[in-house]
Amino acid sequence: MGDRFDVIVIGAGPAGSSAAYNLAKKGFRVALIERGRKPGSKNMFGGRVYAKPLEEAFDGLGKAPIHRWVVKERLSIVNKEEYVTVEYTGRGRKSFTTYLTDLTDWMAGRAVDAGATLITEVVVDRLLMRDGRVAGIVSGDDELEADVVVDAEGVNRLVLERSGLVERLTLRHVALGVKEVIKVDKGDIEKFFGLGEDEGLAWVFMGSVSDGLPGGGFFYTNRDSLSLGLVIYLEGAVQGMRRHIYDMVEELRIGPLFSRYVENGRIMEYSAHMIPADPRAIRPPRLVWDGLIVTGDAAGLLINMGYTYRGVDTAAYSGMLAAKAIEEADGDYSASRLKRYEEMLRNSYVGRDLEKFRGVHDLYMNPRLFNEYPALLTGLLRRLYEFDYEGYKFSKAFSEARRGLVSLPRIFLDLLEVYRKL
Amino acid sequence: MSSQAPEERKRRKIRLEDLLNNNIWDVDPRPHIKLDTSKCRDCNYKPCVLLCPTGCYTTHGDDVLFSYEGCVECGTCRVVCPEEAITWEYPRSGRGIHFRFS
Ligand SMILES: Cc1cc2nc3c(=O)[nH]c(=O)nc-3n(C[C@H](O)[C@H](O)[C@H](O)COP(=O)(O)OP(=O)(O)OC[C@H]3O[C@@H](n4cnc5c(N)ncnc54)[C@H](O)[C@@H]3O)c2cc1C
Ligand code: SF4
Ligand code: SF4
Repeated sequence: MGDRFDVIVIGAGPAGSSAAYNLAKKGFRVALIERGRKPGSKNMFGGRVYAKPLEEAFDGLGKAPIHRWVVKERLSIVNKEEYVTVEYTGRGRKSFTTYLTDLTDWMAGRAVDAGATLITEVVVDRLLMRDGRVAGIVSGDDELEADVVVDAEGVNRLVLERSGLVERLTLRHVALGVKEVIKVDKGDIEKFFGLGEDEGLAWVFMGSVSDGLPGGGFFYTNRDSLSLGLVIYLEGAVQGMRRHIYDMVEELRIGPLFSRYVENGRIMEYSAHMIPADPRAIRPPRLVWDGLIVTGDAAGLLINMGYTYRGVDTAAYSGMLAAKAIEEADGDYSASRLKRYEEMLRNSYVGRDLEKFRGVHDLYMNPRLFNEYPALLTGLLRRLYEFDYEGYKFSKAFSEARRGLVSLPRIFLDLLEVYRKL
Repeated sequence: MSSQAPEERKRRKIRLEDLLNNNIWDVDPRPHIKLDTSKCRDCNYKPCVLLCPTGCYTTHGDDVLFSYEGCVECGTCRVVCPEEAITWEYPRSGRGIHFRFS
C-alpha cells in the first residue's frame, strides 16, 4: 500500500463514496478502502432513494442506475389474511427504486473519476493511533497513514468498536432486514400496479407480518424485479421469535398480499443486513476525534419516518459534509477544528429530520401497533363491509371490534402519542 | 410427481438451501466466524438459531451446530448472542458474500 494519502476513507458505501468524491474533486489525495471485491458487493437495502440530496452530493445523477421513479405509495395494515391499504398516487419523482449494489458501484465510480484511489478486497482492522490521535488505518500487517480518516464503515462498525470509540452493538442499537429480490416480467409490473415505463411503487406494511414483534415489511418495484422484505427489531426478538426469520419472509411471499404478483417470478437473490434502530442509542457520543470523522450508518444517521427509511441519501450527504469540514479545516485536523462537521450536520436536513423523527422508534416499541390495532382496524372494516342482509352502524361495529382488544382511554392515549411523535 | 395443482405448487415455500443457491459466495477457507459451542448449552433462548437469516446455526438437542459458509455477513448473530460465544470478523481479501441485486 506504499503511497501516502491526505485522506483515508473506510468503506466505499454511499457515505464513503460521497466523501471520497467530494474530497478528490477538491484535489485531495484520497484512498477509498472497501472490503468487498467491488463497491456494492456487500451493500443491501430496502429499495428506494430520495434523489435530491444525492444529486447535490454527486453534482447530478448522470448515469446513476435509476430503475423507476416512485409515483405510487402504499401502506398496509395486516391482520393475518385481512389487510387495509391506503394508496397515494401523486406526481412523484422525488425518489427512485434501484439496487444498492449498482448505485453504490456508481457512487464509488464517481469518486474514482474525480481522482480517488479505490482499494478493494482490503478489510480495515483498526485505526492507527499516534500520540493520541488517529493517524491512519491498520489492515493485517499493513499500516497506511493519512492526515485524516473518514469512517464510513456502516452499521456493523467493528473498526470504531475495536478502537474503543463506541460501545459494542446491543439489541437496542439495531434491527435486522431480510430481503428477496424476485425477477418478474417488466410489463407485468406495469400492468399489476398501473405504472408507466419508468414509474414505480413503494409499499410498506405492518401488523401480524412480524408476528407481533416490532418491525414491518417493504415491497418495491424495480425495473424488472420486485424487492420484498421484512425488518425485525432485535430488542424483543430474542425472546419473541416464533419461527425462523426465513419462514416469515417466505410466508410473506406466498401469502395473500403478494403471491399473485410474484407467483411467476424467479428468486434472484436472498440478502440480509442490519439497520440502525434506536437513534439515541446508536449515535456515537461524538462524531469527530483528532484525525477522524464518522459518517453514514456508522454515525447512526438513518432516519426512520415510520413509513419509510432514509439512510442512503443521509449517508451520502454526511459524506459530502465531512469533505467540506476537512476542506475548511485547512490542514488542522484536530477534533476542535473538525467539530464544524457536527455543526453542519446538525443544521442540515439530516440533523433536523433526525431530531424531528427521533420519537418514531418509541412508537415502534408499542406492541399494540402490531397486534391489537391491526385486529381492531380489520375487525371494524369487516363488520362495515361484509354482511348478507343487515349492516352495522359505525359505532356498533367499532365497539364490537374493539372488545377485548383495547380500552377507549388506551386508544386515546396511543393516538395522542402518535400525534406527538409523527 | 406432485398431485397438486400448479397454483398450489407456486404457493409453496422455497427451501432455504434453494433460496441461498441464488447467491454468489467466494468462501474464505478460513472461517470468519468462530463459535465456542460450549457456551451454547447454557444459552436459554438460543436466538441465533431463529434470527440468522441464512440458517447458519442449527440445534441438535441442547447443542448448537454452526457452519459459516452461507453467511451473508449481516452481523446479527454477534449482536444477539448473550454469551459472547461468537468471535466475528469480516472475511479477508474480498471473500464471502457477493451481492449483485440488492
Ligand atoms: C433492510 C434495509 C432496508 C433499507 N431501506 C432503505 C431504503 O429504502 N432507503 C434508504 O435510503 N435507506 C435504506 N436503508 C438504509 C441504507 O441502506 C443505509 O443507511 C446506507 O446504506 C448507509 O450507507 P453507509 O455508506 O453509511 O454504509 P454501508 O452502505 O453499510 O456501507 C459501508 C461500506 O463499508 C464497507 N466496510 C465495512 N467495514 C469495513 C472495513 N472494516 N474495511 C473495509 N471496508 C469496510 C462495507 O463493505 C460497505 O461497502 C435500508 C437498510 C436496510 C438494511
Ligand atoms: S446465541 Fe450465542 S450462546 Fe446462544 S446458542 Fe447462539 S451462539 Fe450459542
Ligand atoms: S453474520 Fe448474519 S448471516 Fe452470518 S452467521 Fe451471523 S446471523 Fe448468520
